[in-house]
Amino acid sequence: MRKLKASILKEFLLLLNDKVGLFFMFFMPILLVFIITIIQNSAYQVINENKISLLISNQDEGNQGDSLAVLLQESKMFEIVYDDIETKNELASKLLDNKNLAAILIPKGFTKYIDSKSEKTTNLMLFQLGLGEEEEINNKLEPIDLNLVYDPVLQENYIKSIEGILFQTLSILENTNFIQEIYEQLGVENEAGALKQNIFSEKINIVSNHAKLTENAAPKPNATQHNIPAWTIFAMFFMVVSLSNNIVKEKNNGSFVRLKTMPTSILVSLFSKMIVYILASFLQVLIIFSIGVAIFPLIGLPKLNIDINFFSFFLVVLIVSFTAVSWALFIGVFSNTQEQAGGVGAISIIIFAAIGGVWVPTFVMPSFMQMLSKLSPMNWSLEAFYTLFLKNGNLKKLLFTFVVLTIFIIIIQTLSYLKLKKDKLI
Amino acid sequence: MIGIVAKNIFKKYKGKEEIVLNELTFELPQGEKIGILGPNGAGKTTLISIICGILEPNTGKISYLENQQTLSYDTFKSRLGFVPQELALYQELTPIQNLNYFGTMYGMPKKEIQEKSIEILDALGLLKVKDKKASTFSGGMKRRLNLAISILHNPKILFLDEPTVGIDVQSKNAIISLLQKINEKGTTIIYTSHHLKEAETLCDKVLLIDKGDIIAYDSIENLKVINKLDSLEEIFLALTGIEYRD
Repeated sequence: MRKLKASILKEFLLLLNDKVGLFFMFFMPILLVFIITIIQNSAYQVINENKISLLISNQDEGNQGDSLAVLLQESKMFEIVYDDIETKNELASKLLDNKNLAAILIPKGFTKYIDSKSEKTTNLMLFQLGLGEEEEINNKLEPIDLNLVYDPVLQENYIKSIEGILFQTLSILENTNFIQEIYEQLGVENEAGALKQNIFSEKINIVSNHAKLTENAAPKPNATQHNIPAWTIFAMFFMVVSLSNNIVKEKNNGSFVRLKTMPTSILVSLFSKMIVYILASFLQVLIIFSIGVAIFPLIGLPKLNIDINFFSFFLVVLIVSFTAVSWALFIGVFSNTQEQAGGVGAISIIIFAAIGGVWVPTFVMPSFMQMLSKLSPMNWSLEAFYTLFLKNGNLKKLLFTFVVLTIFIIIIQTLSYLKLKKDKLI
Repeated sequence: MIGIVAKNIFKKYKGKEEIVLNELTFELPQGEKIGILGPNGAGKTTLISIICGILEPNTGKISYLENQQTLSYDTFKSRLGFVPQELALYQELTPIQNLNYFGTMYGMPKKEIQEKSIEILDALGLLKVKDKKASTFSGGMKRRLNLAISILHNPKILFLDEPTVGIDVQSKNAIISLLQKINEKGTTIIYTSHHLKEAETLCDKVLLIDKGDIIAYDSIENLKVINKLDSLEEIFLALTGIEYRD
C-alpha cells in the first residue's frame, strides 16, 4: 500500500509538471466548451428568435406586396429593412455589400397576380356550384416570380426555414384574398371578415415534446446540455497526450527497467497512473460542469441542468474515464517514441470524436459512417452522458452502454498487458 | 556480500542470426569490483540484464549466492542495486522526490529514506540542489543522481552499466570514489564501461567478452603479465583487434 501511495504521489507530481498535458486536459476543452456553446446557442437564436436580417424591395403597385411584408414582419423570424431596388441582380449586389443575410424582391404585378388567381379560383368554384359562366374559368395567368436572394454563407437549413416561412405567408395572403373574392362575387363583401377571422384563429397548437426515458422531468435540450457532456468527454480522452507520453518516457529512459530490478512490480506504477488520471478526469468533469452551472448563465448562455441521478452520473464518469485511461495506456504501451504517442494519440482522439458524434450528431451521418461510429468509444461515452442529461435515463437504460464500454476496456487492457509482457517489462 | 554463478548462458534475440552470448560460464565472487568489458556489440549490456533478471537467457542458469547460500531471485532483488546506462529518473522531480519514490519502491522505511537521502546527496555533491528539478541539472549531476537512486538502500551487489558516460572529470571522480567506498563496506561491484583507464583504476578483475565469448577473465595484474603489456587498454586492443566495431 505504501508503494502504491508513493507511486500515486509521483504520478500526481509528474502530471502537475506536465504543462502541455494540463493544457490539453483542462484549458483547451474549457475554451472549446465556451466557443462551441456560444456559437451553437446563437445559431439557435438566429433560427428561433427572429434574428435573420431580411432586405425587402417591394416593386408591387398594389396593396398585396405591402401585406406580404407585414405578414413576414409578424412572423417574428426576420429583422426587416426596406429598399427600392428594381432587379434581382442589383438586389444581390446590395445584399453582398451589407449585413443582410437574405433579400426578397416583390415583383411588379404581384397584387394583380394574387387578385387574378383569387378571381379565377372563385370563378371555378362558382361554376362548379352552378352559379357562374364556363368562359370565366379558362383565363390563363401570366406566371410571376418572387425572388429570394440569400448570402452564400447562409446554410441550407436556414434557407429552407426562410422558404418555409415565405410559403406559409403567401398561402395566408392567397387564401385571405380568395375568401374576399368569393364574398365580393356573391355581393356580401362586408361579411368576409368573420370567415377570415374564423379560418385564421383557433388554430391547432403544435406542442413540441422531447422524448425522455423516465417519467421525471427531463431538462430541455439546448446547446449547453449538448455541449458540456460532449466536450467533457473530448477533454477526458485528450489525456492520451499526457499519459501516453508519460508511459513512453518511462519505457525509454529506463525507469521501467530500473523498477524491474526492484522488489516491486511495474503494475503498481501503471495502476497508480490509472488512479491519478481517473481522478484528473473527475476533476475535469467537476470544472467543466461547474462552468455550465455557474458561469454560463452569467454570459447569457443556458444554464446546465443537472437534475439527474448522481449515483448514475458517478458511474458514467467512472466508466468513461476508465475507458479514456485505458486508451491512453494502450497508445503509450504501443508507441516507441513520445512523438508517436503524442501524434497518434491526438489524431486517434480527433477521429474518435469525429465519427463518435462529438462534433456532428451521428444521425446526420451516412449509414456506413453510423456503423463506423459504433467503433468509437467516444460514441458510447456520449451515449451514456446523453442518456443521463438529455433523456433522463436510469441505470437500467445505461446498462447496455456500460457493457459495451467494459468490453472495450477489457480488450484494450489485455492488448496492453500482452505487449508489456512481450517487451519483458512485466 | 553477494556473488554470482553463471552457467552456460546462451542468448540470441528473436529474428536475428547473431549469437549475443555463447554459452558463457563464469563466477563473479562476492565483495570484488569486476569490470565487464568489451567492444561495442560484445553483449555487455545483455549479460548484465540477464544477471539482473531484466532479460531471460535462452538457455543457462544464473545462481545468486550470499555467504555460500543460494538466494531466490526475489531475495536477490532486495539486495541488488542497478544503475542503467540511461538516466532512469524523473527529471520533472527533485532529487529528494526521486529518492523518496525509489526508496519506497525498495521497501525502505520513510525515516531511513530521509536520512540516507541526505547522506548520499551530500556525498555526491547534490545536497544544495536537493529541492531543484533534475531537469535543470548538468549531465554530470544527473549521472550522480542516477547513481544515488541505486545505492540508497545499501545494496549488497551493485551493477553499473556505463555509469560515467558523457560526464565531466569532476563528476567521474566523485562517482569512482564513492564506488570505492561502497565496495570497502562490502558491496560487490559489477561495472561496464568503455573507459579502460577508469576500469583499471576501479576494478580488481575484468571479464573481457567479444562476439558473445569470454576472451579473458582475470585480475588486471595477471592479464598484464600474461599478455606482456603495460595497460588495460593495450591488452584490450591486443585481444579484440583494432578494426572498427560499428
